[in-house]
Amino acid sequence: MELFVQLLANTLQIGSVYVLFALGLTLIFGVMKIINFAHGAFYTAAALIVTSVVPFATATLGLPLWAGYLLAAIAAIAVVLCLGALVYSLGFQYVLKDLNGSFILSIGLLLVLNGAYLAIYGGAPRSVPQILPGTISIFGATLTAQRLALVIVAAIVTGGLYLLIERTRLGLALRAVAQDQEAAMLQGMPYRRVALYGFMIGAGLAACAGVLMAPINAVTPVSGDEFLIKAFIIIIIGGLGSVAGAIVGGLFIAVVESVGGYFFDPSTATLAMFILVIVFLLVRPQGILGNAE
Amino acid sequence: MLNRSSGVWICVALAIGAVLFALLATNPYYTSLVVWILTNAVLASALRFVLQIGELNIATAAFFGIGAYTAAITAVLFGWPFWLTLVLAPLVAATLSALFGWVTLRAKGPYFLLISFAVTEVIRLIYTQTNAIGGNSGLVGMFPPMAIDAYYPALAVALLAATLFALYGVERSDLGRMFMAIKNNDAIPRSVGLNVVFLKVLCVVIAAAAVGLAGGLHAYANNVIAPADFTYFVAILALAYVKIGGEGHPFGPVLGAAVLTLVGQWVAGISAWENIFYGAVIVATVLAFPGGLVGLATRARSLVIRSGQ
Repeated sequence: MELFVQLLANTLQIGSVYVLFALGLTLIFGVMKIINFAHGAFYTAAALIVTSVVPFATATLGLPLWAGYLLAAIAAIAVVLCLGALVYSLGFQYVLKDLNGSFILSIGLLLVLNGAYLAIYGGAPRSVPQILPGTISIFGATLTAQRLALVIVAAIVTGGLYLLIERTRLGLALRAVAQDQEAAMLQGMPYRRVALYGFMIGAGLAACAGVLMAPINAVTPVSGDEFLIKAFIIIIIGGLGSVAGAIVGGLFIAVVESVGGYFFDPSTATLAMFILVIVFLLVRPQGILGNAE
Repeated sequence: MLNRSSGVWICVALAIGAVLFALLATNPYYTSLVVWILTNAVLASALRFVLQIGELNIATAAFFGIGAYTAAITAVLFGWPFWLTLVLAPLVAATLSALFGWVTLRAKGPYFLLISFAVTEVIRLIYTQTNAIGGNSGLVGMFPPMAIDAYYPALAVALLAATLFALYGVERSDLGRMFMAIKNNDAIPRSVGLNVVFLKVLCVVIAAAAVGLAGGLHAYANNVIAPADFTYFVAILALAYVKIGGEGHPFGPVLGAAVLTLVGQWVAGISAWENIFYGAVIVATVLAFPGGLVGLATRARSLVIRSGQ
C-alpha cells in the first residue's frame, strides 16, 4: 500500500509537468499543423526568468519569498507570451501547415534561443530557494509540500484549459480550425488570429510548467529540451492535436517512467517507453483519441 | 546557359578534383575535412532522397550510425577484413531499414516524422546500454589496412562521390518519377497498379544503403565512434544542409553541406555563438530564401536572362 501510494505520488508529480508541456505542443499542432521543436525553449525561458527575478525581488525589493515568487511567475509568463507572439509573427505565420518548413524553422529558433540563454546566463545550473518547505505524509508515502502544490496548480491550469477549449468562443474557434481550417475560414473565422492565440496559449502552458518546476529542479539553458522528446511520445500516444489525448498520454508515460524507474533503472524505463510507442503506432497510428486522416 | 548534361560533367570534374585533392594534399586536416564534407553531402542527399516521397526521415541519422557500428563491430570485435566490413555496412543498414520502413511507412507526415525520431533515440539508447560494443564510450581502433592507409581519404571521397551520383541516377530514372508521383498524390500511382508501400520502402532502403556506406567510411576515417555521434541531431543538421543548399535540385544538399561544413569549422568552439549562428542562418534561409542557395542562383539567372532580352 505504502509503495503503491508512493508510486502514485511520483506519477502525479512527473505527469503534471508532462501534461502541461504536451498540452501546449498538441494545441499548437492542432491549430497550425506544425511540430514546434522550439517548445522547450518557452519552458526554459520561464524557468530562467524565475531564477533571476526571485533573488532580485527578495533582496532588492525586500519582498517576502512567496510574493517574490508570485511576481517572478507573472513576469515569466508575460515575457514568454510576448516571446511567443514575437516568434509567431516573425516566423511561424509564414510556414503555417508546411510540416517540413516549420519543423526546420523551429529547429533554427531553438538553436538561436538556446544560444542566447547560454550567452546571457552561462551554462551553470541555477536554483531558487524552496518556496514551500516541509513534507506531507499521505498513507505512509512522503511528498514534499512543493511537489504537492505543483500537482494541484497543474491540475487547476489543465482544468482551466479544458474549460477554455470546451466552453468559450475562443475554444470553439480553436476546435473548428483544428478540425477543418478551410471550412472555419469560410464561416468567417480569422484563421491567423486564432492560430496566434493558439500558439500563445501553447507557449503560456510551457511557461507555467517552467515556473512550477523552477523551485524543484535546478535550471540550465537546456532544461526544456529534456521534456521535448517525452512530450513527442506523449502526443503520439494521445493522438496529435487531441487535448484529452495529451492528458491521458502524459499520465500514461509518467506511470511507465515512475514504475519502470522504480523496478528497473531509468534508462530501461526510457527504452521501454520508446518501444511501447513504436508498438502503439503499429496498432493504432492515430493515437488513443486522435482521428484518422 | 547550362543544360543538364554539362551540369553533370561539371559535377564529375568537381568529384575528380576532390579525389585528387584528397590524394595529393599533405595536411591531414584538409583531407579529413574533404571526407567530412562529402559524408555530410551524402547524409543530406539521402535525406532529400526520402523527401521525394514526401517524408522527413529522421532515422537517416540512425542508419548512418548502424553503418558505422557495423563496420566497427565486424572490424574491431570480429577482426574481419576491411573490404568485407565496408560491404556489410550498407547491407546491414539497408536490411534494417527495410524492416523499419515496412513497419513505419503505414504512417505518414507528422506521425512518420515523430516515429523516425523515436527509432533514432531507441537505437542510440541500445548502443549506450550494450557493454559488448563499448556502451557510452563506443568503439576504438578501426584502421584501414596498412597498404592503403595513405590513400584512404581519396578512396573515401571517391566512394562517397560515387554514392552521390548513384542517388542522382536513381532520381532521374523511372523509379525516381514513381517516387515523385507518390509525393504528389499516392492514390494515383496506386490506381495504375503500382505497389505504393513497396516503392516507399524501396526509397527508404536506397537512402539507408547510401548513409550506411557513409557511416562505414566515417568509422574508418575517424578511427573512433560513440553513441553521441549518432543522435537525431545528425539528421537535423542534414536537413539544414538540404534547406540552405536548396531542396529543389539534387546539387542543393551537396552545396549546402559544403558551405555549412566549411563555415562550421570557422565558428566552431565559440559555443553559444555557434548555436546562434547556425540557428540564425536556418531561420533566415527558411523565411527569406525558401529555395536555398540553388533557388537563389536560379532566380539570379532568370533576372540576368530577362534583362538581356
